[in-house]
Amino acid sequence: MDIFITGLGAISTIGNNVDEIYASLLAEKTGIRKGTLDHSMKYHVGEVPLSNEGLMEHFKLKTKGSRTALLGMVAAKEAFQGHQLMDEVRTGLISGTSVGGMDITEEEYRNYLKTETFDAEKYKHHPSGTTTEQMAEELGITGFVNTISTACSSAANAIMMGARLIRSNQLDRVVVGGTDSLTHFTISGFRSLMIFDPEWCRPFDETRKGLNLGEGAGYIVLESEKSLQLTGKTPLAKLTGWSNASDAYHQTASSPEGNGAVLAMTKALSVAHLQPTDIDYINAHGTATPNNDSSESKAFINVFEGKVPPFSSTKAYTGHTLAACGGIEAVIAVLSIQNNVLFPNLNHTTPIEETGLIPVKQITRIENVRNVLSNSFGFGGNNSSLIFSKL
Amino acid sequence: MKLIAHSYLNRKAAFLNGVKVAHADSEQPNDFLKTYYRELTIDYPKFHKMDALSKSAFISDYLLEPFYADLVDLENKLQLVFANNDSSKQTDLKYIESYEINNNPSPSLFVYTLPNILTGEISIKHKWYGENCFFIQPAFDAQFFADQAMFSFLRGNDYCLCGWVEMNGSENEECFLFLLEKSADTFEIEQLTTLLKSYRNE
Amino acid sequence: MSELKENLKAQIIEQLNLEDLTPSDIKNEAPLFGDEGLGLDSIDALEFIVLLDVNYGIKISDPSDAREIFHSIDSLASFIESQK
Repeated sequence: MDIFITGLGAISTIGNNVDEIYASLLAEKTGIRKGTLDHSMKYHVGEVPLSNEGLMEHFKLKTKGSRTALLGMVAAKEAFQGHQLMDEVRTGLISGTSVGGMDITEEEYRNYLKTETFDAEKYKHHPSGTTTEQMAEELGITGFVNTISTACSSAANAIMMGARLIRSNQLDRVVVGGTDSLTHFTISGFRSLMIFDPEWCRPFDETRKGLNLGEGAGYIVLESEKSLQLTGKTPLAKLTGWSNASDAYHQTASSPEGNGAVLAMTKALSVAHLQPTDIDYINAHGTATPNNDSSESKAFINVFEGKVPPFSSTKAYTGHTLAACGGIEAVIAVLSIQNNVLFPNLNHTTPIEETGLIPVKQITRIENVRNVLSNSFGFGGNNSSLIFSKL
Repeated sequence: MKLIAHSYLNRKAAFLNGVKVAHADSEQPNDFLKTYYRELTIDYPKFHKMDALSKSAFISDYLLEPFYADLVDLENKLQLVFANNDSSKQTDLKYIESYEINNNPSPSLFVYTLPNILTGEISIKHKWYGENCFFIQPAFDAQFFADQAMFSFLRGNDYCLCGWVEMNGSENEECFLFLLEKSADTFEIEQLTTLLKSYRNE
Repeated sequence: MSELKENLKAQIIEQLNLEDLTPSDIKNEAPLFGDEGLGLDSIDALEFIVLLDVNYGIKISDPSDAREIFHSIDSLASFIESQK
């Protein structure tokens, strides 16, 4: 059974919606710059330049929520634009997040340290599940609502789960993706892991030092064929492959040979009934940490038997948006298929010595982008691969 | 599908298939996991580095180990499906303290601010390469786990290790693991809820 | 120097939650990382960096510098001495 994509929505530092993001991608324009908030000003980050109040006002949001929930609402609403809720179409929402309502918790915690007064209402935003409930309220979705928290593969896993619920006839239509906001929590955490690049990140470059964090959200709408007949929506592309595998190596580091990554990509190809040569573009996880890019490169060579298709990481545009990255990059994969364009891996000069792989370095238009592989690898060795295909 | 084995622990005791195998009843709630580790004479130095969420799942998984021996190709044919309501809240709060109060974010605490690190820990211990996922849900939902296991079997897996792991600092902390196997037998989903309720004395 | 080494051992056991070990289990010259030594890993190395900052006021900004320093209790103690 085919799984159709009938809606795209995204917000990130390079744009408030899919059109703006596509324009920035074509213009090879990064959104990463010096942070503007107390906790981000020492680092290069990909901030969405609207405050929480600004987001509510600009996008006319009705439901209050944490920053993570607000970003999620913006992207999910864009994806769901033009869709109607109807009883005959069982509709769900599956969202990935890792920080949930942390931004509000932090603000309250600091307030508590100063004033020793405690507002329990504020902490209600904290749980990751609440983030999704708030989004569901904004969208009016009351059916299957679920939250996945598997670090940086959360959104990809949400997309995978949505596809399975449609294929097993549990749902007809589902909004899937992920959202995460930049918080003191994550910035301090990645600082403690010492994997920030103090300058612009350089995925797949020999001189890469680490990642730049970003924030944002990305969602797509998946529908079954039966659902298409009822909603009358025009499909944009198909989701044909998905897989998740454990790396079983370390809590945070990827195995040197990328065992989990190899398994995830191989199984996704087999779910899609595709050969490695059918892949025209890989949107890599490519965080620009020394460990991820080396491990992912070796996994590419292994899966594609040395003939690695054009690949790039778009994280030098958006920053690493953690639980949201699989959602934003799903949108980017569909843009690639719709427009037959491959997006560049910014800031690349020197190939990694050990593998010699060279990513796509400028906007590249090819005759036909048939299938795009998108990787998202999370802490805990949680590796996911998705395949998007032309109709 | 059929239930091969299950384990349960809370602050008072740890059980394997309904039989009490370790006892804590500790005055100090933080010590009960260490008590089980010692009582069960587990030897895994990395245990002490884990947060409570991972520790509780690790011990519960350890209890199920005798049942793994007879199962074929767990490396590739087993899926992990875990869930709770409070994610990694307890560790989140400790980690927040490390940067807000001590101004020194702790890398080892930060690592455990993700609930799926526990599925990672179990995969690392056994070298299991199968799929694993962590869901956030309001309460234990037997039907959800059974559905996930069924989907997992339909796509070629033979086993599903499920877990409801809530280590949130409250008195109701618990960890309930159950190992399901693909089989033609009809499965009484309600037995999972009944088991959990009996442990909770509900 | 030997007092420094004993202190380091106690601090390491506490900071890295090495509960099954006592200071006497850690030999001054034995490797701390890798399978032959205490089996410490990259996260432990980062905790070492925090420990040096908090307890000795020494800042290490590039973790790749740390590999040699953290080889053993001996190398760690000499490094701390050299920073005084």
